[in-house]
Amino acid sequence: MTVDAMRRLPSGDRRPVVLAISLLALGGLALCALRFGLRPTGWGDVWRAFGVFDAGNAEQVVIRAIRLPRLLGAVLAGGALGMAGALMQGMTRNPLADPGLLGVNAGASMGVVLCILLLGVTDPAAFVWVSLGGALIASLLVFLLGGGNKANPARLILAGAAVSALCLALGRAILLVSQQTLDVYRFWVLGGFDGIDLGQIRTLLPFFGAGTIAALAASFWLNALMLGDDAARGLGVRVGAAQALIGLAIVILCGATVAMAGPIAFVGLIVPHLARRVAGADMRWLVLLSASIGALLMVAADLLGRLALFGGNMQAGVMAALVGGPILIWLVRRNGVGAS
Amino acid sequence: MILRLATLSVPVSGRALRSACALGLCAAAVALLALWVGHYPLALAQLFPAIAGDLGDVAQMVVRDHRLPRILCALGVGAGFGMAGAIFQTLLRNPLASPDVIGFNGGASCGALLAIILTGGHVVAGALLGGLASAALVIGLAWRDGLQPYRLILVGIGASLTLSALGDLLMSRMDVLTAADMAKWLIGTLASRDWQDVALIWGGLAVLGPVVLWASFPLARLSMSDDVTTGLGLALTPLRLGLSAIGVGLVALAVSVAGPLPFVAFVSGPIARCITGGGRPAIGAAALVGALVVTLADLAARMVPLVHLPAGVFTALIGAPVLMWLLVVQFRKGRF
Repeated sequence: MTVDAMRRLPSGDRRPVVLAISLLALGGLALCALRFGLRPTGWGDVWRAFGVFDAGNAEQVVIRAIRLPRLLGAVLAGGALGMAGALMQGMTRNPLADPGLLGVNAGASMGVVLCILLLGVTDPAAFVWVSLGGALIASLLVFLLGGGNKANPARLILAGAAVSALCLALGRAILLVSQQTLDVYRFWVLGGFDGIDLGQIRTLLPFFGAGTIAALAASFWLNALMLGDDAARGLGVRVGAAQALIGLAIVILCGATVAMAGPIAFVGLIVPHLARRVAGADMRWLVLLSASIGALLMVAADLLGRLALFGGNMQAGVMAALVGGPILIWLVRRNGVGAS
Repeated sequence: MILRLATLSVPVSGRALRSACALGLCAAAVALLALWVGHYPLALAQLFPAIAGDLGDVAQMVVRDHRLPRILCALGVGAGFGMAGAIFQTLLRNPLASPDVIGFNGGASCGALLAIILTGGHVVAGALLGGLASAALVIGLAWRDGLQPYRLILVGIGASLTLSALGDLLMSRMDVLTAADMAKWLIGTLASRDWQDVALIWGGLAVLGPVVLWASFPLARLSMSDDVTTGLGLALTPLRLGLSAIGVGLVALAVSVAGPLPFVAFVSGPIARCITGGGRPAIGAAALVGALVVTLADLAARMVPLVHLPAGVFTALIGAPVLMWLLVVQFRKGRF
């Protein structure tokens, strides 16, 4: 189907097409991510690594033990951040909101810093639980300050920004004072998908699963919430419960991502804006499309960071911003601003 | 209550006036405290003799040439950031908006880094050029039959994220020592400012201040919808363009003296609105809150023993708890 033919369809019909295209592109990129890398491998190696695996073959081991976990990590993180960003911007009705606004990223960073400083932990595997705990505590604090289940978006935003800034500033002060903490922390915060193994992904997979289910369920209510609290109540939605569910989904998705790959700032902010160009105001489609586009952007950024840049590694989050920022500006300029 | 001056009359709410006076007194008290305490011990009564030079050269140097310019810089920088934040938050109708949104900070840090890499110096000039260029770029890219807040925000997000990613990229290509130096500048500090800086910031404020005062009247109407504003007879596009230029000018001024102190521009607006009450954009109160926050942050940076932390670390440590406390208080009173 040509692009022109697609445009003539009513907008409701464009969404499945875009979703399918983005999933296909994700599949293609995933194959590329397995195929290309520092060590030269061929398509045959990729095929054999999953068909007739030979543990003695270095190429196949690289594909299965290094590139596959990395790919899975990027897909999970990108999808989770995309969904969380869409939910966050929908719940607060603010295009500047990113999933870190609930204090998740800052809380996780703070947890890791305190854990290194006070307990002397240096094993990255232990950081998974510490950062999840920090994320939970910080977002609870934000929710309480934001007015509990009577939260109103403006208040929640201010509370989130205040808690995040406080955690980040405390963390930065500790890092400036304690050289040893900085030494361990800076590798965690660079994070990315470098040191991921399949075991870590298996540990966190239940969290991603639960978060995805919660996000998809919440997106049905979000359509009503977007009309304003009173209208939503009139439509029979229990606003407090809906907001709690959305908050829970965001915390689980972001917490698991932070635990896996460190704080990745930009993806959750950009992706929903990209998805909204297609999805319009329907939050169910927005969440789905944000997940697929987020995963696509993340895998592409990770691949680009591995291949293109000076032979060294670049944070996937930074790469995603380098790629996603100009795309966002181009889209805004081309399409003008929708009603969303 | 209505203030009259010749043919000009301005309505002022009593609470806004009272809280502005209280904020001003607080800022003055903190400034005096900052002048008094420090590693060189002085009694409070000795302050003015010390400035006049009656207590010998050392005391005069410490108070007049070290503490006083630093404090005056902090007050001016804070006022600049506070006003800029309040302007952008009202202009874009978004409590999360701050000069970062328009790409200024991202461009400034990129410009500073580029200046260091290419010429080995000229950090401030590079930052100013980078910031102004990126702000102009964002406004230009968002322009389409006028300037619409939502589009400006989206283009600003895209640009500032890309620019700060570019900054990270540049930072990772530098050698460690320069990177560490730059990291300190990028947080923002007020250490060792002299009278030249004071003249720069206060001279700039003296020029921009009256403009801001004049702009605050149409700004208050911008919080209404586009149709209402147009109906009131205001030309939206020139107004938005002019206000953005004023905001960017204020930030450029403050950044050139103290570096991009984080969080001040963001936090001053909400705190000022909580204190003065009502929905009007409290630009004057925001300036006072900003001055107070930066002066306190700099005082804290000076007083923490053993280590030298830049003031930028403390702006959030001081501003964030105040904002949280205000949120709790306001919630109890049933506002929000």
